[in-house]
Amino acid sequence: MSGTAYITHNELTSALERLSKEMDVWIPVETGDKKWGIQFSKYQPGKAPLLERQSTTLPKKVLFPQVETLLRFCYQKDVEDRSRVTIDLKDLEDMAPAMVFGARPCDVRGFLTFDQVFLNGLHKDPYYAQRREKTLFATLVCETPDSACFCSSVGSGPADQAGSDLWIIPIEGGYLIESLNERGEKLLPKMGKEATQDQIESAQRFQEKAANERVGEGDLTRYVRAFEERFSDKAYWRDMVSKCISCGICTYVCPTCYCFTITDEMKELEGERLRSWDSCMFHQYTQEASGHNPRPTKFERYRNRVGHKFSYFPDKYNGMISCCGCGRCIRSCPVSVDIRQIVRQLKEEAGDCVST
Amino acid sequence: MGSKTEALAKQFEKVFDDLELVIGWETGFDSLHATPAFIRQPSALGRLIWNPFCSHNLSGYLTKTLNATAQEDAKKIGICVKGCDSRSVVALIQEKFISRERLYIAGIPCRGTVDLRRLMRLKPSLKDVNTVHIEGNELAVETARQTHRFPLQDVLLRKCLQCRYPNPVLYDELIGEPLTPRVTEGQAPPFVDKLEAHSLEQRRVFWERELDRCIRCYACRNACPLCVCQDNCILESRMPKWLSQRSGMSEKFFFHMIHAVHLAGRCTECGECERVCPMEIPVALMKEKLNQVVKELLDYEAGLNPETQPPLLTFDPSETGI
Repeated sequence: MSGTAYITHNELTSALERLSKEMDVWIPVETGDKKWGIQFSKYQPGKAPLLERQSTTLPKKVLFPQVETLLRFCYQKDVEDRSRVTIDLKDLEDMAPAMVFGARPCDVRGFLTFDQVFLNGLHKDPYYAQRREKTLFATLVCETPDSACFCSSVGSGPADQAGSDLWIIPIEGGYLIESLNERGEKLLPKMGKEATQDQIESAQRFQEKAANERVGEGDLTRYVRAFEERFSDKAYWRDMVSKCISCGICTYVCPTCYCFTITDEMKELEGERLRSWDSCMFHQYTQEASGHNPRPTKFERYRNRVGHKFSYFPDKYNGMISCCGCGRCIRSCPVSVDIRQIVRQLKEEAGDCVST
Repeated sequence: MGSKTEALAKQFEKVFDDLELVIGWETGFDSLHATPAFIRQPSALGRLIWNPFCSHNLSGYLTKTLNATAQEDAKKIGICVKGCDSRSVVALIQEKFISRERLYIAGIPCRGTVDLRRLMRLKPSLKDVNTVHIEGNELAVETARQTHRFPLQDVLLRKCLQCRYPNPVLYDELIGEPLTPRVTEGQAPPFVDKLEAHSLEQRRVFWERELDRCIRCYACRNACPLCVCQDNCILESRMPKWLSQRSGMSEKFFFHMIHAVHLAGRCTECGECERVCPMEIPVALMKEKLNQVVKELLDYEAGLNPETQPPLLTFDPSETGI
């Protein structure tokens, strides 16, 4: 094991307090008074993170805010010649370093999809790149999967370390924090005292148990061709998607959904160029300037959602599935559309499928 | 309750020859989740269920997924409705979005449906449910190990706690005996009154805190059976762009106000907007308040009689005082 620190339950808020002096610390907290949901918020003094169940919304917003200003602009008219206009531009503001404390492996794994698109392609997205560079992830080894979870079915698992810098392991009386890389290691002294041998062993046992856990049935990573074969099967998509209400929940709570729209919002001579989350479930997403829409109904839209995650993306990025099995799209769906079942049945004989 | 599930399947079996499909509920991805079912083969009618987890109002599908208008030679669409759901069907008929002749309605008297998030707060470990039903003032949830009992007051959806229409107002066949309403007519909606007891400033703080969570996923709009504009909603129109992409309080407030005002005198209080909200915002309160105003000013309640004309859908040039 690399560097470790031990934090008791009682010391957790003071450790977060110390960290928050140097960076924005994002923790899971209840969405409101007497609410079931959990969301990530910036640490506020005395506020303890809620780690007992998965959050409703994601830490995705830390690296990819729902709305961000790409640039601010201001037109200046020449006093002598009003037809001469110049533009003042301000782009890319510095962001503070940040840490996400208490996300789960699935939440963090989602950023591997983002990395492919925003960092590893022809063009590097400077906004995402800056946040990625400056944000650390202290991730909780997960021991509370529920009936919507399926991380093991997409090549991940409750002890998946991909994308994390620190590891939070629940042990007797508190948490053992383990560093997974150098930048994580640097923070350990600020978090707590070095762990004892007993604590390290206990954490290892916990981690091994989680690593051996299988969450979700079957393997959903080899459906590229099955999807292509089903593409034109209208009855299949009708049966699978009839109940969808075409809202944006599944995309907004998805750790891997990265689609956005860009709008210039201006008043008189000043304005901002905004980038905001878009959703392939919305009609406007593929609306063309001519008025034509290649995905006019929810059937084409949901088919695209399945195709993007389980066929187009792995086809383009060496087999990588753009789904981390967190199950939020199933859990938060108002009508319980189950993407696992829709993908699994792609390979079944036509006629044998039971609509979900 | 098991008997009602069976009665439902039997009833549809009898009339299936005249039906294109049946929309009802079936068990979802786990035993706590019911999910809408679209059944096109009589052999699949056994999938239908009815229990207090069947909270979804299925009437929205009549306009949004299916075109339930009168069409020559078209078979009927079978649909299961609770009391509240039946009012949405009536409102859609009144507004001529669907046609009564095209429907075969199985009406189910309903004692209330469960707010899963309230239930999970009380018993986070609850799973593997065998049966669930209402006994008196309690919800009985039977698992392999034991039967858990919860006071209805603590686990029902908010709309069910103030339900005045447990019995469908329109149906072809009633499945089960009519029930006595939980709240009698004339009794004010308790949740609106409770909020109204606060000062203007306190209510502003309340709504800012609640709406701050809104992620603008538009689930409330899409789940609403009476939100019929769908893809042509002015909130998303890009030319002209009425609403900014920003996600500040004014945009969120604007969105919810537009939604509520468009439902004035139309909302049947099925509570879908609030049930589907992933952020647990009590958005139906706004519509309940507007309904109160409509009742006071126009003595009208939406979705009770398919023959009447909704007052806000008429125009009389001789009207004064508006």
